[in-house]
Amino acid sequence: MRVLRQFACVLLAALASVAQAAQPHDPQKLAPIRVQDLQYGDVLFHYYQQDDFEALTRLLAYQHWNQLPHHELDSQLLLGGLYLSLGLYNEAGERFSRLLTPDVPQGVRNRAWFYLGQIWYARGYLDKAVDALRQVQGQLPAQQAAQRVHLLANALLRQGHFDEAIALLKSFNGPPDWLAFAQFNLGVALVRQNRMPEADTNLTAVGTLASSQPELLALRDRANLALGFAYLQANQPDKARVPLERVRLNGAYSNKALLGLGWADAALGDYQAALSPWTELRNRSVLDSAVQEAYLAVPYAYGKLESNAQAAQDYESALTSFAAEQKALDGAIDRIQSGQMLKELLAGDERTHYGWFWQLQNLPDEPESRYLYAIMAGHDFQEGLKNFRDLTFLGSTLDVWSDSTQAFGDMIDTRERAYAQRLPQVDQLLASGAVDQLQHRRDDLDARLNSIEARQDVAALGSAQERARWEQIRQLEDALATAPHDEQNDALRERLRLVKGVLFYQLNDAFKAREWQERRTLKDLDLALHEAQSRWIRVDRARRSVPTNTGEFAARLALLKTRITELQARLVSAEQAQQAYLQQIAVAELSDQKVRLDAYEVQARFALATMYDKAASESAKPPAGAPK
Amino acid sequence: MCLVANAQGFALLGQSAPDFALRSFGGTNVRISEDRGDVVVLTFWGSQCGVCRRQLDMLDRSFTTYRSAGLHMYGVSVDDDAAHARQFVAAHPLGFVMLEDPAKDVARLYQIDNLPTTVLIDRSGIVRYVYRDFGPRDEALYLSQLRELLNE
Amino acid sequence: MQMKNRILAMVVGMACSCALLSLNAVAVAAEAASSAPPPQSPAPSSAPTSAAAAAAAAKAKAIGAQVEAALAAADSGAPASPPAPASPAAAGAPTGAPVTATAPPGVADTRSLDEGTQQLKKDVVDLNRDLFVLEEELLFPANTQVAVYVSMDVGEFFALDSITLKIDNKEVTNYLYTPREVDALLKGGVQRLYLGNLKVGNHELVAFFSGKGPDNRDYRRGASLKFDKSIGAKYLELKIEDRQRKMQPEFEIKDWE
Repeated sequence: MRVLRQFACVLLAALASVAQAAQPHDPQKLAPIRVQDLQYGDVLFHYYQQDDFEALTRLLAYQHWNQLPHHELDSQLLLGGLYLSLGLYNEAGERFSRLLTPDVPQGVRNRAWFYLGQIWYARGYLDKAVDALRQVQGQLPAQQAAQRVHLLANALLRQGHFDEAIALLKSFNGPPDWLAFAQFNLGVALVRQNRMPEADTNLTAVGTLASSQPELLALRDRANLALGFAYLQANQPDKARVPLERVRLNGAYSNKALLGLGWADAALGDYQAALSPWTELRNRSVLDSAVQEAYLAVPYAYGKLESNAQAAQDYESALTSFAAEQKALDGAIDRIQSGQMLKELLAGDERTHYGWFWQLQNLPDEPESRYLYAIMAGHDFQEGLKNFRDLTFLGSTLDVWSDSTQAFGDMIDTRERAYAQRLPQVDQLLASGAVDQLQHRRDDLDARLNSIEARQDVAALGSAQERARWEQIRQLEDALATAPHDEQNDALRERLRLVKGVLFYQLNDAFKAREWQERRTLKDLDLALHEAQSRWIRVDRARRSVPTNTGEFAARLALLKTRITELQARLVSAEQAQQAYLQQIAVAELSDQKVRLDAYEVQARFALATMYDKAASESAKPPAGAPK
Repeated sequence: MCLVANAQGFALLGQSAPDFALRSFGGTNVRISEDRGDVVVLTFWGSQCGVCRRQLDMLDRSFTTYRSAGLHMYGVSVDDDAAHARQFVAAHPLGFVMLEDPAKDVARLYQIDNLPTTVLIDRSGIVRYVYRDFGPRDEALYLSQLRELLNE
Repeated sequence: MQMKNRILAMVVGMACSCALLSLNAVAVAAEAASSAPPPQSPAPSSAPTSAAAAAAAAKAKAIGAQVEAALAAADSGAPASPPAPASPAAAGAPTGAPVTATAPPGVADTRSLDEGTQQLKKDVVDLNRDLFVLEEELLFPANTQVAVYVSMDVGEFFALDSITLKIDNKEVTNYLYTPREVDALLKGGVQRLYLGNLKVGNHELVAFFSGKGPDNRDYRRGASLKFDKSIGAKYLELKIEDRQRKMQPEFEIKDWE
């Protein structure tokens, strides 16, 4: 029956909408990690404060310096997760893939498969997602295990593998806050397989749960909505009423529920009753498609109740409303295409801590904001907007660095100048080989002292005066040696011998002490020399590293500055491309709404035309009397 | 970036707001960089200055109104005598957090030369508006600029 | 009559493709059917041949698909509130907000824009890393670098308030801790409190920390360490623990030789 087909379409729409979205808020508890490398702890310190970008930068830097030897696997996983939070799917995927080798512990591999599954799912590669998620063997942490089942079930549902999804969800045994979502998805899958009784059990369980959490309340509404429409489709309008009436009147799903309730009544032939929800619905915002339908449903009911005048009037006013709405849509489309709307939306770029799951909270205070809600709720738009904001954020990080590079340049220049000043002196000193020379002198001294000791050359350690006298005596000795032996000469020789003896006695007496003194001096000299040598080595080393240092830094800095400028340019054009993309999506969304309205307008016109036709064909009688 | 008439020469306009951490009178420590993503209003005041008190009351009202929209407000006491400041805070309870800057480090950081001075910082951490010599006419302007920053 | 038939066919065509079109269209059509040839089969494949009607049918089909997509999109947006960002598991990939990709992977334009964006983001991330590396190597070369880290390993909650560091009797940092930072430390994060340069030789580090213990008592502790700086980076860790005596945080300075 045609009615059936319609309901099927609506149901599919409703189900499609609910299935994908059904997943709970997921606060996972972090398992404590034993930090073995201080630098890894530093990364975590920022990560735990949701400074993802800072954590990522540091993690990459510390890896570059090989400062995380004890956290290889942890780093890869964390890196994958951080890349994921930046929307860098490819990089994230690569990191996780690297963790899939047999030498990696099973637990880590499981997590890698799980995150890969998430990535594929997010990109729409359902087959790969299912494969990846199925690779997980054994245990994941509780929340992740629940999430895995949830994702896998969703993927299977979207692939149309309902039975597999059902089997999976039936065996689900996870944390309580996931249970409701699992039941919901299960119920939806069962509906698709026409297993109504089982579907009813599950969806009713969710549809009657008690909670104050907004997410669960929303889920409850969706469950009731899905069940209600399932019954409408199955031609059991009486059963449809019960769940539909449970949908909250002020919730996001109440419009569809009201529409469905009207249909249930209509299907039971009670058009008077149908008027009640439909009239209520008609009083709501005309942006909503259910409301638009109510604009037609109400006169249709009147028509059924033979209040043709009222019906005609309502059709007319529907057309007026639709026309006005079309105009509003046109206006909004213009504003979007002129860039106005998006400009305001995007002006408030949030250079906040860099996270993957932020929510668009404030909508600008504009007439278009009523449409924006529909547009922005879309996945593509959300992702495009996130990209735009990511790009803006990244741009701001480069701006900050840009300023710093100035300072670096100055610093390097100053260093170079300082070195230029001091280096010649240092070079001179190093070239002079001063320390070596000192060493030689010390060695010479040592050798001399050794030979003095060996020869017991007491004269050598004498005072200058003593040595001079000794020398004098020697010279006289030599002179006298060749002189003939006469009385005068012999007396001189004798006197000389005496003097020499005295001197020798003096020298000998003092020798030991002096020798000890000289040794001590040498020892002090050794100490000083040793220190001088260490300093020398350090200066030499520093000197060796200097030219490469500043030159190298200057070169690196120059390169980095170029990259900054280049990337800043690319960012600007990427931002523009994103804006254009977002505009496209927004305009498409609004155009779709226009098309839908067109269809409704046609229907209304047709219905009106038919009514007037009918009235005209019945002999001059005017359309039937007052509405009931 | 709009220059408020009485904000001429404020060196930090358009710049990244310098980060700092201070103790609050209530005991916890506050670091303003943690509020990035929200709008931050810093008001420098002294317990002896009458104009400061009026402004604090006005700011308090705006804080009550807009805090749920993502507004953080901090009063930085620039008192020579910490005891005075403490007495004042105890005697005039306000909805927003009061911080003590005993060494006047932050006042120096923000180059405060006049009290009261109120600084508006946007969600990206940039100093956007500054008020000195707060007068009754400034309230409307302040509120509209505040709303502008909150809407971003 | 003919006009009406065409309109009728259009309407029927539209009603029968998967659109959120109402009951009334069919009902009205059924009524009108009494004075018109029976409506054509509702299957879109047997849509009437007239160009306008065919166009309308196609349009209606498009409506249906778009409406379904729009509904899907409208409902599927990001989860009602994002998972607490602190939360993702140990190696921290965030929880999935992966939801329906209404544009199938094959959409060429979207793909190439996305690939380009990813590449660009990666380039910026890498550049940030390189700048970070340059800055540290320039300002704190390995040979003179000294780094002081802070870690907490306490069984009972300890609200760290501040740490003051002195190196060779000169105060180098006085850090105030916010609740958020304390939380990160309690979770196992390690803060790099100070980074500086020191000449080779002997130095002394003195640290004071203050905070509130679980019994709301104020704690003030100090610790000092003499250390030798040789060539190569020096890492020191200020460890706040309550191993020895429960309920009482103790302070230890570890030299990572």
